[in-house]
Amino acid sequence: MKTAAQMNAAGMPVYLDHASSTPVDSRVAASMAEVLSSETEFGNPASVSHDYGGVAHALVEQARCQVATAVGADPAEVVWTSGATEANNLAIFGIAQYYRERGRHIVTSRTEHKAVLDPCRELERRGWQVTYLVPDREGLLDPDQVAAALRRDTVLVSIMHVNNEIGVVQNIGALGAICARHGTWLHVDAAQSLGKCPVDFASLGVDLMSLSGHKVYGPKGAGALLVAQRKDGPRGARLQLAPLQFGGGQERGLRAGTLATHQVVGMGVAFELASSISSTETVRIARLQQRLWAGLASIGGVLRNGSVSHSVPHLLNVSIEGVEGESLLAAVRPYLAVSTGSACNSALAEPSYVLRALGRSERLSESSLRFGLGRTTTERDIDTAVAVLSREVGRLREIAGTQSGKVPAAVSGA
Amino acid sequence: MNYSELTRRYFESSANVGELSRPGVFRGAAGKREEGTWVQFDLQCESGTLRAARFLAFACPHTIAVSAWLAEQSIGKAVTRALPESVQSLRDRFDVPVEKMGRLLIIEDAWLAAAVAAIDYRG
Repeated sequence: MKTAAQMNAAGMPVYLDHASSTPVDSRVAASMAEVLSSETEFGNPASVSHDYGGVAHALVEQARCQVATAVGADPAEVVWTSGATEANNLAIFGIAQYYRERGRHIVTSRTEHKAVLDPCRELERRGWQVTYLVPDREGLLDPDQVAAALRRDTVLVSIMHVNNEIGVVQNIGALGAICARHGTWLHVDAAQSLGKCPVDFASLGVDLMSLSGHKVYGPKGAGALLVAQRKDGPRGARLQLAPLQFGGGQERGLRAGTLATHQVVGMGVAFELASSISSTETVRIARLQQRLWAGLASIGGVLRNGSVSHSVPHLLNVSIEGVEGESLLAAVRPYLAVSTGSACNSALAEPSYVLRALGRSERLSESSLRFGLGRTTTERDIDTAVAVLSREVGRLREIAGTQSGKVPAAVSGA
Repeated sequence: MNYSELTRRYFESSANVGELSRPGVFRGAAGKREEGTWVQFDLQCESGTLRAARFLAFACPHTIAVSAWLAEQSIGKAVTRALPESVQSLRDRFDVPVEKMGRLLIIEDAWLAAAVAAIDYRG
């Protein structure tokens, strides 16, 4: 039976999955509703031959400026997409296709999001070669690893900024310098970055950057790919991409299709708001994360995943010894909305490939939980999470015969 | 994953969890924790009748629920060389996905290991 302290006002579990998605900010929703209900803003933004299209076009361009400003890019570098997944696909396939005569080798990491790994796998099926770098046990890549993996035929390096499972922040600036020296394009999936850590597209030396709207209190179905416009890119040339879809030439021919004005406007407002997040809020989130970790650590047999010093405070990923993964998630589900370390695509869950890449055992990868903290998270939420985990882990360990001091070595693992 | 009301009830109730250590108790276990599923039953038998049962399970909610149900429902029944209810019947009762049939077989192996030991001891 859930108590009032274990639910929110809507009778739902405490939401601690902000890395998966965030609630739409009321100011974002208002801006989108305005577009959807207006009698003057419904025009096709590509139909600039009349005032209705002109109004919509102006809204789209205003949002383009808001997004660009938030991440230190030029508005002309913003290509709207349906989200970060499409942006990743456009970057990877776009580079691979356009530069296929130059080389067919890509470098990425084993801990990338599936939206990067799956396009790379598909390219392998089409004849490209992909090097999958293995990070250290904290989830960090050594820039020298990347440098060592580059070949004459390497056309792209794709490395994420903030890891979506463990919150580890990669040294993108160093990678940008390495790729520039080598003459290789650098793509960065930054879907988790804005509002959590500084993002400056221009100074990082990045050529392509994927962004998402719904990770920063904006709408789902809205994202962008930043495409560097500088003329002094790798090999002294301006970056070119082959489009994935055709039919209208929108977004400089890179992404055909009528833009969803309300989605774009919502993303613009969300990015403007995210870029103005105060340091006070970051400190608040960091304190909540410390409170959460202190509480979980007191349970015993709880291991933290990922680097502590090179990570954002909004994410905390832990593995819990002595409990089975699916039962752990089922036990907390009535009380907490969190992500598990398993991919539950079927009745039989698969352990997190990210945690496996960090060297965690299969069992510990399955019995992991990701806590995503955000603007709505309170101390009470954290205390609820700790209380629920303490009770349910104790119960499951009793059922499993793995109470403190009785955890079989094979289960505690790496 | 969604679970049936019965599965959730027996998963959450945690009745008959533990071990028995008294005369006339027979233990059977199957599976491996390091492989994700392990089940153990302690059955206390008197004159061929089950008087008490306890279980431990490092396992998914379906496996825990079925084990808890067996430990509860079998009291007072004769101990035989079979599960008190067939694997197929348990699967239907708890809406266990076909992918998890192997886990029900682990339950069966653990139960039979204890039951057969009790029968053989009884002679």
